[in-house]
Amino acid sequence: MATGIRNPVTADSPLAAGPYLAVRSVGFAYRRDAPVLRDLSFDVQRGRLANILGPNGSGKSTLLRILVGLLAPGSGEVRLGGALLADYPRAALARRVGYVPQETAQATGFTVLETVLLGRSPHTGALGFEVPGDWYAARQALHLTDTEPFAERSLDELSGGERQRVIIARALAQEPELILLDEPTAFLDIKHQHAIYGLLRRLVREGGKTVLCVSHDVNLAAAYADDLVLMDHGHVAAAGKPEEVLRAEILSPVYEMPIEVRKDKATGRPYVFPRPQA
Amino acid sequence: MNPRPLTLRTYLQSIAAWTGLWAGVCLVAILFGGERLWALPSGEQVRGILAIRLYAVLTASVVGAALGLAGLAFQALLRNPLADPFVLGVSGGAALGVILSGIFVTVIGAPLFGFVGALVTIAIIYAVAQRRGRIEPYTLLLTGVVVNAFYAAAIMLVNSLVSPARRADVAYWMMGSINTFDPHWPLVGMVGGLTIATGVGFAFLAKGFNLVAVGEDTAGALGVRVERLRLVTFVAASLVTGASVALAGPIGFVGLICPHILRMAMGPDHRRLVPASFFFGATFLVLADLATRLLEGVGGQTPPVGVLTAMAGVPFFIYLLRVRWRRASEIR
Amino acid sequence: MRHPWLNLAASLGFFVATLWVAGCGGTAPPPDSGDARDLRILSLTPNVTEILFAMGLGDRIVGRSNYCTWPPEALAIPAVGDTLQMNQEKIIALRPTMALLITSRSTVIGTLEKMGIRTVALRSDRMDELLVSIRTIGRETGRTEAAEALVGRIQKDLAAVRDRVKGLPRPRTLFAFPMTVGSAQMMVAGRGTFVDELLTVAGAENAFPEAANWPAISPERVIALAPEVVIVNATGDDAAGDRLEAIRRAWANWTTVPAVASGRVHILTEPYLTIPGPRVGLAAQKLAEVIHPPYAAAGPQEGAR
Repeated sequence: MATGIRNPVTADSPLAAGPYLAVRSVGFAYRRDAPVLRDLSFDVQRGRLANILGPNGSGKSTLLRILVGLLAPGSGEVRLGGALLADYPRAALARRVGYVPQETAQATGFTVLETVLLGRSPHTGALGFEVPGDWYAARQALHLTDTEPFAERSLDELSGGERQRVIIARALAQEPELILLDEPTAFLDIKHQHAIYGLLRRLVREGGKTVLCVSHDVNLAAAYADDLVLMDHGHVAAAGKPEEVLRAEILSPVYEMPIEVRKDKATGRPYVFPRPQA
Repeated sequence: MNPRPLTLRTYLQSIAAWTGLWAGVCLVAILFGGERLWALPSGEQVRGILAIRLYAVLTASVVGAALGLAGLAFQALLRNPLADPFVLGVSGGAALGVILSGIFVTVIGAPLFGFVGALVTIAIIYAVAQRRGRIEPYTLLLTGVVVNAFYAAAIMLVNSLVSPARRADVAYWMMGSINTFDPHWPLVGMVGGLTIATGVGFAFLAKGFNLVAVGEDTAGALGVRVERLRLVTFVAASLVTGASVALAGPIGFVGLICPHILRMAMGPDHRRLVPASFFFGATFLVLADLATRLLEGVGGQTPPVGVLTAMAGVPFFIYLLRVRWRRASEIR
Repeated sequence: MRHPWLNLAASLGFFVATLWVAGCGGTAPPPDSGDARDLRILSLTPNVTEILFAMGLGDRIVGRSNYCTWPPEALAIPAVGDTLQMNQEKIIALRPTMALLITSRSTVIGTLEKMGIRTVALRSDRMDELLVSIRTIGRETGRTEAAEALVGRIQKDLAAVRDRVKGLPRPRTLFAFPMTVGSAQMMVAGRGTFVDELLTVAGAENAFPEAANWPAISPERVIALAPEVVIVNATGDDAAGDRLEAIRRAWANWTTVPAVASGRVHILTEPYLTIPGPRVGLAAQKLAEVIHPPYAAAGPQEGAR
């Protein structure tokens, strides 16, 4: 494993053979009387595209912030590559985990290229100078996200979909093993939604990354994800492949409304039809 | 790909260029302004005047650099382009400390009290404005406004209780005093050392400033310890502000104008902005001080440097509010 | 009419009362020059108070300004404020018949005259104006002999000092007030001021060459003027121990100034150096002692209080 980690896990340890990301009994509360996450457990395997689903208020964003290391779990533990998340120094963690947050665009004046280069921060030295390796990684990231044409333009000028791709490029520039995304397609149109998920799947299949995405769009997740984790009030209601998780008897109580599940004949994946009472 | 890559070589080149500019401006300020050097009869007189001007130029440089750095740091941390050491009330605290020391203790103990005033202010602002270890930018600014109002009232109260002669002293000092009959060379050295150390420190924190400007979650995810960065930067910026107030009185708007002009010229990258703010702040105040000396004779008095920076700063502030605040209002 | 005589008396009385009231609203009539019993003086300037006491009129002063603190007997007299802020009620209660002050502000004079007080505005920017003012006070108060005596005494004192320093080299001397903390300005006596004349009497030449009232100069100007002697007059708050020390320390920095290099910077705390009044002789004497040390006080001062 990389240097700097307290209590590193050696290759022959049983932990090394386990899941890449292991969440065990994690609990969290912002205020003592209102727990957001309760006894949450699930795994993410290496090289898979996993998607976390759930109604609003189920704690998805909070969970993601814990996985990035921005929050510490109140109880339970999170292991990345076998080692405890808390044992990773911040910079070392930033070199393995890329985060695409759900943030509104900041009017900072950085260009697209400068924004992507910010993703190199965990790798650059103390004063922040770039070396050719940084340029290469940035160019790669722009290429993968198809944002090279915008390189010199200011980030504020781009549309929502283009901006989202640039933020993903920034995370890619970190050269991470794991990418965490919080609602990456929330405000995008259909074309861009599919473009983003298509990119994510390519990153997993061709780039060898592991991707964990939080989204509320069930069908989109069903179409692209390898694994799903369904959350309900801070707890895991179901986890597994899409056809295992997306069942009417599982979904309806979680979303508190009748939901019908059919199979999409073209892709073979489940498709969800909410049936609200008229 | 990038037209201006930032490598060690380009960094050192730009520092060399800035140093050259600053040194050139200092040379002009030392040779001109005030008495005409070549008209003086004795070499001793020339030496005496050069010593006065050197003191003024060094003081202006140190104070300008300190305020430029502090302004840049506050704007980065608070993600608000209108933040400035004076908006936050830090200089008000330092000023009150210095004034109290002059009245109750002695004129000589002033600098220490300035430090104490600034530090107490930081502690109060931090304690009042933070919640669960986080500080919301708007809460902080509002706290600063209230703190400033308190200090203004306190200074007025102190002023009303002292004799008329002392009142004139305080009034002049509050407008900035770079030229003085009582030079404090050791204090200039001390504040200079503190400012340079802060400049170097901020150069290493510049990466963090860039990331925090984009967003705190992003910064945290990219390896920045945001709360620690905030605390360190805040304390350092306030300390260096307090030191410069103790040296030359509260001088306003340098910390507002300089970082902004630089941002308009060279973009938002703090790796470049930190050394630029240091040198440009110094140069700016040296020029302002030179301007006050050139304006001597208009009415027989030199305008205090704080008046000049305010006259430049207020229109600039209004321009910022009207033109750029619309974009900045998107900053959260 | 049933009572014609009553009507006539009432009309006459009414007529007289009207005249009397009209007379009160206007300017008061000039004083009877011989009637000292009616003399109630309001003195609103410190040197006027000193002059009055020196002329033996101290007991005629019914009101003074806050700053009239010499001689010590003056402190027993009620204070009514200063020329910027007068307590008009107090003034009216004291019923002064005459106000003496040194001012050129017509508003002050107008206010006093509206209160029915005869106001005499005097000037003392220069020595000759001081002597004229003393004589004017003598005329207004009917004490012309006392005035002449005072004038004579002052002229004798000044002549004594002049004689003592005759023939001595006249050093270029700067007379200054303590520098304002926090600014680079220091007020000095220009040519043509009262202090400038004192310097001349005391055997010095004012290092500041231009005619100006109390110009504020910068450190560079001080160096350019290169005075051989510097006199700093620190009074009031500035005379406190640590402040004197600070002034001394500040001046010690300017080693390229000849006065500093030769140790001829004198910080004097006597307040009468800048008050044009009966103690002028003392002031000239003090300055001469400081400027020409070998010729320190050679004889008793006469008459100056």
